[in-house]
Amino acid sequence: MRIQVLFFAAYREIVGSRAVSWSTREGLTLEELVDHVLARYPGLAGHRGSMLLAVNHAVVDPDRILKEGDEVALLPPVSGGAP
Amino acid sequence: MIEIQRARIDLEAVVDSVRRDDAGAIVLFVGSVRSDDGVRALDYEVYRPMAIASFSSLIDRAKEKFGIREMSIVHRLGRVAVGADSVAIACASVHRTEAFAACAWVMDEVKRIVPIWKTEVADRKDRTRRRR
Repeated sequence: MRIQVLFFAAYREIVGSRAVSWSTREGLTLEELVDHVLARYPGLAGHRGSMLLAVNHAVVDPDRILKEGDEVALLPPVSGGAP
Repeated sequence: MIEIQRARIDLEAVVDSVRRDDAGAIVLFVGSVRSDDGVRALDYEVYRPMAIASFSSLIDRAKEKFGIREMSIVHRLGRVAVGADSVAIACASVHRTEAFAACAWVMDEVKRIVPIWKTEVADRKDRTRRRR
């Protein structure tokens, strides 16, 4: 199946692209996909602890099973700032 | 009103978008780009569909939590110069207390959960830094 993987801000700069089309087996979990992505882009590995994961525009748990056509986004911590 | 736009924010239009006959108070929060340490602009990057869904959900939650009548959120995308407005939140309610509270709560949540990132653009072209 094919999955669209999106990268933003610092992650986009590390990967060198905002979107990558990923071909993978059926039944893959989000966490397994992230393992594959980090293996291809080792520069992201140090960010794993603070990375938020979204599928189809909503933050989901890493054990989510992915489906054909899903849009997965790897999100750095958002801007924040003092109140 | 929910907008993510490159154009400058028309604050009067944001206020007008929440006006209602049954609301006696309108609070407008405006976030502007601050000049810190040679910064001349901020570049905003947005995951648009998720940001719009987050704004919509925050407005629904604010209505439920504070009993406000109407709320609008407008956020800039791309480069915003020092002194210009990057975000506007308008909130209308029957009385002012809940409008102030809802506006403050939503802005905190926008900073905490909405997928928007900013990078500082400094005087020297080669000097950029992600702002937290």
